[in-house]
Amino acid sequence: MSRAEAKPAALYHRTVVWLLFAILLLPLAGTLLYSLSTSWSASILPDGLTFKWYVALWGDARFLNAFGQSLLVCFGALALSVVLILPLLFVVHYHFPKLDGLMNVLILLPFAVPPVVSSVGLLQLYGSGPLAMTGTPWILVGCYFTIALPFMYRAITNNLQAINLPDLMDAAHLLGASTWKAAFLVVLPNLRKGLMVSLFLSFSFLFGEFVFANMLVGTRYETLQVYLNNMKNSSGHFNSALVISYFFFVLIFTWAANRLNKDKS
Amino acid sequence: MSYLSIRGLHKQYGATPIFSDINCEIAQGEFVTLLGPSGCGKSTLLRCIAGLTEVNGGQILLEGDDLVPLAPQKRGIGMVFQSYALFPNMTVQQNVAFGLRMQKVATADSMRRVSEALDMVELGSFADRYPHQLSGGQCQRVALARSLVTRPRLLLLDEPLSALDARIRKHLREQIRSIQQELGLTTIFVTHDQEEALVMSDRIVLMNAGRIVQSGDAETLYTAPVDAFAAGFIGNYNLLDADSASQLLLRTINSRVAIRPEAIEIGEQGTIEGHIRSHSLLGNVIRYRVEARGVELLVDVLNRSEADLHSAGKAIALTIDASAIREVA
Repeated sequence: MSRAEAKPAALYHRTVVWLLFAILLLPLAGTLLYSLSTSWSASILPDGLTFKWYVALWGDARFLNAFGQSLLVCFGALALSVVLILPLLFVVHYHFPKLDGLMNVLILLPFAVPPVVSSVGLLQLYGSGPLAMTGTPWILVGCYFTIALPFMYRAITNNLQAINLPDLMDAAHLLGASTWKAAFLVVLPNLRKGLMVSLFLSFSFLFGEFVFANMLVGTRYETLQVYLNNMKNSSGHFNSALVISYFFFVLIFTWAANRLNKDKS
Repeated sequence: MSYLSIRGLHKQYGATPIFSDINCEIAQGEFVTLLGPSGCGKSTLLRCIAGLTEVNGGQILLEGDDLVPLAPQKRGIGMVFQSYALFPNMTVQQNVAFGLRMQKVATADSMRRVSEALDMVELGSFADRYPHQLSGGQCQRVALARSLVTRPRLLLLDEPLSALDARIRKHLREQIRSIQQELGLTTIFVTHDQEEALVMSDRIVLMNAGRIVQSGDAETLYTAPVDAFAAGFIGNYNLLDADSASQLLLRTINSRVAIRPEAIEIGEQGTIEGHIRSHSLLGNVIRYRVEARGVELLVDVLNRSEADLHSAGKAIALTIDASAIREVA
């Protein structure tokens, strides 16, 4: 391809990319500006800029409480995922590779059933009886575990296949390591990347989850998204500040995680 | 009594037997190659010796101890895998030191032994690299150092050269052989490459379909194959059925006959008349496809000069050394 042809093509490619970027960013930029404006109704630009919505938001005990509870439920679900899924993956891929097919069907279930439907089922099952826990954070932890499962299972499976698990285990065994030692010293460190990626992906997803949180627990254990929903009748500036705060938290969290991951490898 | 003694070893997956009644004696310091086509059970046999695959019956005696009930960790066996199986999260130094770390060898002693092992495979200056920064040949040398550093009683090599390119493979097989001889290490090497087997081994154990077909040194296997499979697998034997053999040699023969292509001479005068059908140049050897008395034969001749080359269609006479005509089952 000659340079004369390349130039317009490159310009076109660049325009498309920037346009897409702008389309995605514009609502966010609008929300950011709205959250920083004193009032903005009948003019093109806001009347004035202020931080008072952020001060009000971060001074609101109910918001801080919801924020903390969201974090707690997410971390709880992710901790449960790590504790259950890592050994499960190890057993499936090392001892029973044939089960991988079954697992691939199982992990699709949370996606196959819409949250509105499965939350009704969960309410039926856990609304009464020996396992009555609707309205408590425990049901959310369990439910979020099932949502995190596919992300974690897929990412770590890819990771496991890339390292050739059976040969590594065999080599470690012959060098004198027990299965536990081999798993901790050889396999686990090599899964860090897949684990981290899936954890942060799941976290971002769970932190913004609304349907299950609202249906299963609601105001009895208010998470961030439920709080946002309950505040929908208050000032739009205040809600914008909430959305932007939420977005920046997830952004910084993801960025930090990426940095952490890169430095070590 | 031999150093390693395999007695009546039997292995099956479900109802499918992989091998049965395998018997083999290996002397101390011997380099034995298990040679055979894919699926003949040679790698499974190696894994059974290592303890990575359970056996269904039989004994594996190493210095008189039965290995079968022992876990792989307790067998004192080093193994090198086709896939290298280096730990990606560890440097070369940490990989090689892993076995010593498991044995709780003191740090100073471990450092010294690791550096000795790396020097032996000529990778002393690569200690701080990670496996992904090494070439395939270097990875396999690290894997070799890692399995040698613990001073195993037996070294198992599972097709360690198969994933490497030809030049590196040649260099590494010489290196493996010289290290093995220097340490006097009893070694079992698995390959499907007859050239590797012939060049490296003290003894070759030829396997097919889960049984040992023939066992002997390279020369015996090459010059005296016991059956048609052995003749077909090693070298480029002319395998003739009884009718063709009778037709060619003008006497009644009741079994198949194997004739090495280099044992047939091509000349102006000879006992069997024929003509050249085609030729191909294999570097130092010219391989002729010759027809004589209605039988097609391969004949290898040393490539001395261009003047010697016989062109297609030329009438020639063949002389076959009687000792090279082997009747095989």
